[in-house]
Amino acid sequence: MDNVDLCIIEALCKDARTSFRQIATSLNLSPDTIIDRYNALQEKGVIRGSTIVLNPKAIGYGAMAVFMIDVSPVAAGKTPFDSNQILEALIKMRNIIVATKTVGDHDLLAIGVVKDFQHLFSVRDEIAAVPGVKDMEVSFWSDIKELSPKYFVI
Amino acid sequence: MRQELDEVDLAIIRALQKDARASFAAIARSCNVSVDTISKRFRKIEEKGVVRGTTVLLDPKGFNIDCVASFGIKADFSHVEDIMVALRKMPEIVFSTPTMGCHSIYALAIVRNVTRLSQLKEVIKAHPMVREISASIWVHDILLCPENFDLPSAKGEK
Repeated sequence: MDNVDLCIIEALCKDARTSFRQIATSLNLSPDTIIDRYNALQEKGVIRGSTIVLNPKAIGYGAMAVFMIDVSPVAAGKTPFDSNQILEALIKMRNIIVATKTVGDHDLLAIGVVKDFQHLFSVRDEIAAVPGVKDMEVSFWSDIKELSPKYFVI
Repeated sequence: MRQELDEVDLAIIRALQKDARASFAAIARSCNVSVDTISKRFRKIEEKGVVRGTTVLLDPKGFNIDCVASFGIKADFSHVEDIMVALRKMPEIVFSTPTMGCHSIYALAIVRNVTRLSQLKEVIKAHPMVREISASIWVHDILLCPENFDLPSAKGEK
């Protein structure tokens, strides 16, 4: 990546709808160059997509929670649970916006937005119902901010 | 503060959740309204504070960042704010918040590599008020799905 790439990324991080023409003018390049660079960044996977940054509180979400999940150990003679399958189930759930496998105290992690306590419990129950999920710890917070807008968007 | 949204507002948000560069013309066609209406509405939901802006989703790997990890920190209740002040000064801690549940504070670190993560963990652990710290390294292929964020139903809609 060179300086042009970084300038494109910086502009789009601030406002993903910035027109390529506008970026081109500010860099003294042609819009075609910017479009080619943008496409290349997408192909390389540096830019994974774009999204809108919402204020959860304005639409009725009071808190965020992180679910730290433990996968059941393999019982003798049984096939082990595939944590990739659990991961796929997690990311398909409504209001789970980040999910990953982890190395450390737990096996998987999911971060979600919740409306209230009742909703927090229902999300927990939904995760607990995924085959292979043995146990989980939950931490939650209500002072919702943007979670590193550069790499993760909340 | 909770804001009321109608079908057009929600259509705009839904489209932009998936692709923030979606054309207003396409959204306008799908709602049967004019492009002008869509851009006015978008400005309005921004002014109301429902939308904070739009951004691109980047892959940390593209920036030579090899390690994303979360820290769970335990501390006495009266010490949480002091520790938060220290965490906010650390550039590699990209997010930190006091929490309820199994930790006092939850923090997210984006660092060059695992060696650096270990150094950072030691720095936090050396804070006299930190009782306990645990780290989880996020394995690559972190899945992000902002469009999972359920929207409320429109005003008057059943």
